[in-house]
This record gives sequence, C-alpha cells and structure tokens, in this order.
Amino acid sequence: MLEDATPDTLKHVGGSPDRIEAAAKLTGQALYVSDMTLPGMLYAQVTKSPHARARIRGINTSKAEALPGVRAVLTGAELEYRIGLYVVDKYLLARGEVRHFGEAVAAVAADTLEIARRAADLIEVDYEVLPPVLNHMDALKDDAPLVHPDLGKYDHVSAVFTPIPGTNIANQSKLRKGDVEKGFAEAEWLIEREYTNPSVQHVPMETHVAIAQWKMGDEVDIWTSCQSPFAVRNLFCYTFRLPLTQVRVMVPHVGGAFGGKAGIHLEPLVACLSRKAGGRPVKFQATREEEFSLLPCRSALTYRIKTGVAADGKIIAQKMTMYWDAGAYADYAVNVTRASGYSAAGPYEVPNAWVDAYTVYTNKPYGTAYRGFGHVEFFWGLERHMELVAQVIGMDPLEFRRLNTLKPGSITLTGEKITPNTGNPTKCLDVVAESIGYGALTAEETAREKATGCKIGKGIAALHKAPAMPPFTSSSIVLKMNSDGTVVVNTGLTEIGQGANTSLAQVVAERLGFDLAKIRISPDKDTDRDPYDWQTVASKGLVLAGNAAILACDDLLAKAYEVAGQVLRAQPADMDHDGEKIFVRHHRDRAVTFAALAIGYAYPDGNAIGGPLIGVGRYIAQGLANLDKETGQGNCALDWTFGAHGVIVEVDPESGEYHVLKICSAFDVGKAVHAEILRGQAVGGMVQGLGTACCEGYIYDEQGHLLNPSFTDNKIPTARDLPDVIESVAVETPQLDGPFGARGVGEHPMISVAPAIGNAILRAVGCELTHMPMRAEDVWRAMNQAAPIDNWITKTPNKSCKK
Amino acid sequence: MMRITVTVNGQVYERDVPGHRTLLHFLRQDLGLTGSKEGCGAGECGACTVLLDGHSVNACLVLAPEVDGRCVETVEGQAKDGKLSTIQDAFNRNHAVQCGFCTSGMVMSVQDLLVRTPKPSDDDIKEAIEGNFCRCTGYLQIIEAVRDASGRTEGKGGLKHA
Amino acid sequence: MLHEFEFRAPRTRAELLGVLADHGGLAKLMAGGTDVIVNLRAGGIKPRVVVDVKQVEGYGALTWSDTDGLVIRPATTINDLLRMPGLRERFPLLVACAHDLASYQIRNRATVIGNIVNASPCADMAPALLCLDARAVIASQAGEHEVPMREFITGVKRTVLLPGEVLDRVVVPASSVGARGGYAKLKRISGHDLGLVAVAVHKHGGELRVAVGSAAPTPVLVSGLKETDDAATVVAAAQAAISPISDLRCTKEYREHMVGVYIRRLLREVA
Repeated sequence: MLEDATPDTLKHVGGSPDRIEAAAKLTGQALYVSDMTLPGMLYAQVTKSPHARARIRGINTSKAEALPGVRAVLTGAELEYRIGLYVVDKYLLARGEVRHFGEAVAAVAADTLEIARRAADLIEVDYEVLPPVLNHMDALKDDAPLVHPDLGKYDHVSAVFTPIPGTNIANQSKLRKGDVEKGFAEAEWLIEREYTNPSVQHVPMETHVAIAQWKMGDEVDIWTSCQSPFAVRNLFCYTFRLPLTQVRVMVPHVGGAFGGKAGIHLEPLVACLSRKAGGRPVKFQATREEEFSLLPCRSALTYRIKTGVAADGKIIAQKMTMYWDAGAYADYAVNVTRASGYSAAGPYEVPNAWVDAYTVYTNKPYGTAYRGFGHVEFFWGLERHMELVAQVIGMDPLEFRRLNTLKPGSITLTGEKITPNTGNPTKCLDVVAESIGYGALTAEETAREKATGCKIGKGIAALHKAPAMPPFTSSSIVLKMNSDGTVVVNTGLTEIGQGANTSLAQVVAERLGFDLAKIRISPDKDTDRDPYDWQTVASKGLVLAGNAAILACDDLLAKAYEVAGQVLRAQPADMDHDGEKIFVRHHRDRAVTFAALAIGYAYPDGNAIGGPLIGVGRYIAQGLANLDKETGQGNCALDWTFGAHGVIVEVDPESGEYHVLKICSAFDVGKAVHAEILRGQAVGGMVQGLGTACCEGYIYDEQGHLLNPSFTDNKIPTARDLPDVIESVAVETPQLDGPFGARGVGEHPMISVAPAIGNAILRAVGCELTHMPMRAEDVWRAMNQAAPIDNWITKTPNKSCKK
Repeated sequence: MMRITVTVNGQVYERDVPGHRTLLHFLRQDLGLTGSKEGCGAGECGACTVLLDGHSVNACLVLAPEVDGRCVETVEGQAKDGKLSTIQDAFNRNHAVQCGFCTSGMVMSVQDLLVRTPKPSDDDIKEAIEGNFCRCTGYLQIIEAVRDASGRTEGKGGLKHA
Repeated sequence: MLHEFEFRAPRTRAELLGVLADHGGLAKLMAGGTDVIVNLRAGGIKPRVVVDVKQVEGYGALTWSDTDGLVIRPATTINDLLRMPGLRERFPLLVACAHDLASYQIRNRATVIGNIVNASPCADMAPALLCLDARAVIASQAGEHEVPMREFITGVKRTVLLPGEVLDRVVVPASSVGARGGYAKLKRISGHDLGLVAVAVHKHGGELRVAVGSAAPTPVLVSGLKETDDAATVVAAAQAAISPISDLRCTKEYREHMVGVYIRRLLREVA
C-alpha cells in the first residue's frame, strides 16, 4: 500500500536488522521436526517400488507383522484415500499398480527405526512388470500406455484445469491473444526452435519429515516440515472427510523447502500409521535417497517457440507450446503448466500470441512446485530463444530485448495493461548490462584470453514472474499486545529461511512506530493459534501478509486510541503516539502508556475500561479473477516482479569447461524491505539457478530407474562454485498495492540464470545450447556439433545411459 | 553393546552403545544434542560436521564406539556464558543464516578453519566449507561472515540500489 | 541407520590378524570409514564384524627416511599426509592427488590406504602411487609379502587382498624423490566430486609416466615414455591403455577426449 510509504522517515523498513531466529539456529537450539521425539513415538519406514510401472499381484506382510516391535503395517489395500491438490489422483500407498520408481507400496511403524527398516524390507511384493512410458513426448502418442486410465473419474478443480480422459494429459491450458497466424503472415522473419530440461530435485537440507498422532475421536495432531500449514490441514481434512476443527497442523523451524514442501506429502500416510497403531505418534523422515523419488521433484519441460518478427525487430506474433512432464501424479504440475502458460512470453510485449501448455503423465517421480514455479524451466528456452532470434535478424540481443520489453501501456499475454508502477524490466536489463560491460571485452579481459587460451563471453537474460495463486488468495495477521506494551504477531505464513518473520516484524514495527525489540513473532506456526494464510509460496508472502500486518497495526492502534481517548479525554484525531505511549498531540505530558492500555485500563480505584488490545488485519488480492479457460484472458497477477542477470563466462574451447567470472542480478523489488535478507535471496537463488544451469538433473535408465538419487551423482553447487564476482542490485519502482511499495522476490533470483550463462557461452565460443543443464561435455559437444548426450529421458531414450 | 566414555563440549558422558551406532545418531538420540543435523547420512553434505579431537569430521561417518576416550565438540558448545561465539556472532551480523539446517555444521567447519588458519584467504574459506552444502544462502554471506570473524572487513558486499 | 554388526578395535597387529583369521570374509576392515560406512548404510556390504584398524599400535605412524622412503600406514589420513613437513618438496604429485580428494572433513578421516583398498577406478591416491612406484606390503598370520602398486588393484572394487590379509603399509621409495608431477581431474562441479576422469603426469630422470583414473576398471599406469616425447605420442600411448565406458557421469568419447586435454595441459604445466 504505497500511500503508506514515507521513504524519508522509515526507521525499520529498508534497514538490515538481525534475523529474528538467527541465534536459535546458530546455537542448535532451533527445533526442527527432524529433532523432535514424542512420548511413545513410533518410527515409520516404507517399502518402495523398484519398478517404474508394474501391476501389484500381491503383497505379503506376514513376516513384517511377525517381527517383534512392529506396531502397524499398511498397504494400499486398506487405504482407499486419494490426495491431490488440483487433480485428486494419488493413493496414499499404491493400489493395483505402481506408477513410478520409488513409489511407496507399503508402510510400517515400529518401536525403533531399525525395526521399522527391517520390517519394511521383509514385506514381499509380487510385481508384474509393465512397460513404462518415460518420455513425456512419447506419452502423447496414440498407442502410449495410460498412466491413469481412470483420469475421467478423478475429482478436479474444473474451473481452472482441464484433464483429457483417455489420454495422458492431466491438464491443457490455453491462451489466445490477437491473431497469431495473421501476425506470422506479416512477419519478416519466422524462427522456431525447441528447448528442453530434465527434472530437478529441490534439495532442502532437511528432508521431508512428519510426525502425526491420530487420537481418540478422530482428533489429529500433525507436526510437519512444510511450507503451508493451512493447505496441509485443509487437504488432509478433504481426504479423510474430517471437519477442519479436528486437525491441527504445527510447523516448527523448517530446514529449507523451495516449493517441495508447498503441498501435502507424508502427513496422511503417517497419520494412518498412527491410527493403525492405536493412536501412538508416528514419525517418518525421508532419507536423502527417498527425497529424490518417494517425494516429488521439478517437472521436465519441452518448450517449442515460434516467433514472428517484423522488419524493425518488433515481435509481432509468437506461438508457444509447452509439454510439462508431470511424472506419475499431477500434484502442482498442472498449476505450473497454467502459470507458465500465461507468462510464457516473458517480460515482452507480443501482440499476437498463442499458447498451448500440456501437463503430461509419465511413469516417473512426480513434479511439484519448485522455486520459480515453471519459470526457471521455460525461461531457459525463452531467453535462449530471444538470443537466437536476435542473432538471426542481425540485431544486438540487448537492443532486441529493450525494443520488445513490457513498458507502461503495453498489454501482457492475458490482456493486462502495464502501468508506470508495474515495474521496469528495461531498467533491470540496463543495470546488469552496464555492470558486466556488455557488448565488448575490456583490455584486461582480452589480455586474460591471450594468457589462458580461454574465451570470454558476456550474456544477459531477463525474467519476470507473478505469484501463481488463486485470485481469491488471502492472508491475515493478529497482533496481541502484552501488558508491558510489547506485541506478539500471529501469522500463518511460515518461516522457511526466506526471512518472512524478520521482514514482517519490520513492517509491524514501522507501522506501529515501535522499536523492533518490542515485536515478537513466533518461529513456529500452528493452525489452531495462527490466523489463516493460504500458503507460503509464490513470492506473495510479503505483499499479502505485509498488507495484512499494516491493517492489523492500524486496527490495534485504533482500538488503543479509543481507550486512550477516554482516559485522556481527547478525540483520536487530537492524539499521537510514540513507541511507549499515546498522548495529546499538543500536550505531550497528558499521556497514557501502551502498557497501561494493553489488557484494559484500570483507574486508581480499580474501575476499568477497554480490555486486551488485539489488532486484526486481513488482505485479499484486489481485482483478480480466474482466466478464461479458452483464451487465457483476464487479470491474474497480484504483482509482476521483473529482473535480469548479466554474466561474464570464461570457456575452455578445447574441453568445454567453463567458469562464471561475474554475475550481476537486478530485480525491480518495488522497495527493499530488508537489504541483507534481500541480498541473501538474490545470491542464494542465483546459486541455485547456477546448479540448475550447470549440473543438476534426474538421469534415468531405459526402464525408468532413477540412476542418481543421491549427492554422489546429483551434485549441487558448493562454496567453490561461486562466480568470482557477485553483484545484487535492487531497482525500486514502487508497487501501488505493495507494503511500503514492496514486491515479492523469493523465487525470481533463480530464474534466467541458465540462459544468461548459455548466452554468454554462445558469445564466447559460438555454440548453441538448447538443453540444460550445460555440463562441460554438453558445451564440448555443441562446439563440435556432435549429437547431444541424451541420458535425461527428455527425448527418445537412446542407449547412452547404461548403468 | 559397548560402554564408551566420551567428552562432549567439555562434559563427560558414559553410555552403552551398539557397534553400529553412528556418532551422529549417538549425539542426537542418545545425548539429545540435536544441533548437529543429518542431511544425507553419507558424508556428502556436512550438516553433521563436528570436531573430533579438534578436527572437523562428518559425524554420520564415525561410529560411536570409535570416540571412546575422545573429545567431541558440537555447535552446542560454541556459545559460552550466554554469549554467542565470535563465529556465531559474525554469522548473525552478516546474515549468513537462512533456513539454518546447514548452520551448525558450517559453524563447526569454520571453527576448525580459524583454529588452524586464523587469517584465512577466500580460497582457504571456500576449501574449508566446500564439504558443507547450503541450499539457501549461495554461500556469499557465509564467506563474508568468516572474513568478519577473522577480523577482515574488506570485500563486504551489500545490496546496491539503482 | 546402519544394520547391526559387531565393532572391534584391535590394539595390536597380532590381534588384528587374529580377528581377521577368525571371521574370514565376514569381517570388514575399516580405517577412516568414509567408504565403508557409506557402503554399510547403502546395504552394499553386510559384514558380521567391522574391524577398526586405527587403534592398532604403530598404524598411526607416517615416516620418512632416506633409506626406507615414505611409509604410509593404515591410520594415516589424507590430511595427516598433507600436513607432513617436507612432503610437497619430495612428492608434489602425491600432494596434488591428496588435495583433490573429497572435502576437508572427509580428508580428516579418509585414509591413503583405505582409498587404495577401496579400489575404485576413481581412487584419487592411485595415480600418484602408481607413478611413484609405490609398493604394497600385505600382512596376514602367514607373514608379510609385497606387491607393486600397479598389481594391487585388480578390478572395480577388487584387489589382491585375500580374506585374513591386511594392507599393512604402502611404501613410496626414496628413489622417486625429485620427480615432478601434476594432477587434473574432471568434475561436475568445482567443489568436491569424484573424478569423471583424472590424469596424473609424472616426470623423473628423463622418464615420463601417465596415470589415468576413471577410464578403465582400474586406475591405469602408462610408463616407459620419455620426457622428450611430444604430446601426441603421450596421448596416443594413454589412449591405447585405457578402456573408458559411457555411464551417467559422462560418455566414453568425452572421457577419451579429456584424457588428451589433461595430458596436454599437464605436460605444459609440469616443467
């Protein structure tokens, strides 16, 4: 809410106060679900499918049940419950058929982890192995096996999603703007290409873990390492047909999430084990290996783009087709498909656009939300494409981008009009281009090339993203004043490392005019205690919860002023306050402290007025609605955060090995609420993007076995992998409805890192990469125009991925 | 079962442990010191880094019986008299903590580094924490914190505004 | 979580050899544990007894003498080796390989001997020890015998060791002092990773040797080349000696190519 911004007088917003929970985390005192044990708690383990697709002919659990210390054994046969966020397609344990490598087929709870593991290993499953469909392009063929023959019978959110029964298509999202064929006919150039990327694992340092206790009277307590306690509660209750009053979800510190913990995962199964074990609490924590295949990943994508460009370099038409590999279950992938579909052209104006985006089932571990929600994946293709188009038409790639960026007055793919306060992608591009000395090598860089034999290239890529959320997404905050005048903030927004608690405390302190030390915000979340927040996802937390916090502050102050007015015999309009007290504006000594008002003001004789001061604030996105299912037109974006990366890369032309010498990232954040937390997001996201760009991805064999479900063969960046120079820049075009003008930026730093590097490699050694990650070998092959290695199963599998 | 006597953060513990118990499991389950985390159980991620007789090791790759008669230091031993250690303080000041799950192991790797190399170069720092995965921070603010803890203030980044 | 086993930590060599003789193939020797415990956790091995060799008297010693050379015993960690005064001057290749092995914490535990006994094709210590003419001294209740390092590893994760035997020490001869060498390792990230392919180049007294890791079932030594040989000759000799495969880490073609790249690079760097 920009009208609240008074930049000259901001005391807390814009600074870098200590992170609220830093000391707890630094001392090891912060409690994560991993660290918890409850009295009488049992430990769970699961039996997992070694096959990508197989019919379950029978399961023999007798040996497991006979093992001393085993308290519950479950198979799919007795769990006729399905879960799903948008398409309800997943049993808690496989029934009838397993649909991916690593899928759970049976579960055990026992006195110790060791006994549970032994019992799970004693469960005998008789499989009839079936031919899997592994590649999402193959899954679209007429004769492809159906991953979900019952797709037509599944409950789904029909206002938004369109499954196609009798196919492997879990959802098709469409967007139609203008007349794309007419645009192509008028175009001077037509450029069409396809870009691909594999599935990727989130790698939160704390793997998924949940403790559940199913108590008498179907009262269920759940402690879980998750992003969205209310989503877990609501989906859990939907699955078990329980009223929301009977389930309580508690989330202590969370050891990283990145979208992988956005939905509901282990909680229902663990709760069923508890029920079967007579109500004893049960804990299950995924091993690192299980994190890769029992739990979900990021979807693979094949993105085909056809662009029509006019003689002056303006894009006049673009047809975009996305094939998202959902894996075995739809989970978030259908919504990734939708959100990517309506953003598919990036921060550029395309007058005539056509998008078809498909979510395709395959027999692989399933896809879910992952930081960027599809944008990391499709921006790989899009920003490589922009570079290649510029090359084809003979225009400088920066100029080509600048010419086509969204500017005030531009119309987005969905028909939304850009205003001066929407944000400024052009400025982000300019900032990063200047930082890396785009367009030419310095004398020093040229000398370095001579000395090393390596080639230096500079590349840029732009990005944008709006929160992918229902148009009716809301958040709320409750402020409770303590009798010493301090304030407790209750929110359902979780702290997953992104700094939500600290930033919200800043907003509250700023709005109340209190010292930050007076604001307490609990590190843990509890659906029974905290007011509703939809989910901690989509880079929407600060905007929605921040606005709710501002309104809660106003409510708290109004209530305090009302009581103070009686005490001081003054109208609210004639009073003011500082961090300690409310006073009559022109008679400062006529004052009453917040402490005296906090739980009710008592006169000297004991007679009292008022009562505990509680401020309530809520915020719901303004003016949004579902997009039209046929045309994709409408207003769906809470806010657009734009950004860009500029990269200098050094490539060994002999080997394809490369190293990032410098990266500069700029984001139009509206207002940097906490400078160092923002920089932490910017750098952390960028390095995660570097992993996606350089080395990460699921590798399968031709039977659909995941070959790299561990850190041995799924490397992530280490401290040694940092670019030599890292710059983070905040552009601040205030958002009209953002708290103090701020926008979300949690996901954005990860987007477009890969294409910026790809574009720089192109400049350095002239090779065109259309598949990420770009391993040294991929660069070498591209330089030599040799056939790419294909062990990702994003295309037709060949025989290069023998174990 | 074997009886072991081990000094952890200056406190002596005597416990019976089975041969196959890892030091990490021993610390977390038997002693209730849950500051050290398990991120992979296979020595790749470093979330369980502790000091064994002063040297950083992955506690998931040490068997509890091996530490009989030896000294273990964990993150719980860092803060003294209600005050954060120099390293913890620098991590806090430099915003080197996000989700916090790598933090304990990271702090212990840095402790080992600063004892053997009080004035580390950036390369020294990167080598010392290369075995500690962090998925949140991108390491930069951690490196800045280590510089700070070693008394070096140059090279401090900071958000730029355009 | 590991499966159940008995833990033994013998204090003398005689006791160690006795435990091994008693349990035969059901005992697993463990030094630093950085491979053994990983393997135990993965269920790749299920020994009845895990025998820690680090407590054995004398096994912590790392010694150098002009007559006996460098003697590395089972409890010597990679970082013990790297901290040894004078090692870099005597055996720069040994230092280069040791320094590239895994992460700092792992090097505090992983042992030189364990790395060799584990017998991975990508064992980082193997190229140096092969080039430096190291000898493996094997002990059992029957006595001691010695094999050249190039005969010690016989296949993927296979060595000449028989049940009841222990690799008692590795000896790097004093005659290898003065050699120059370098090590290059292809990794997927700049941080710790096992070698997708690795090359050591060693020059000594006019002779040139090349050792290659991760390009055959065992680390491969190419000896008998001359320091004066041109790069093409050296690369051709190495290519003829290796037999790389394609796997999920990289392809056969790239391994072959990178062996050439690294040999040329190291020949330039190792003066």
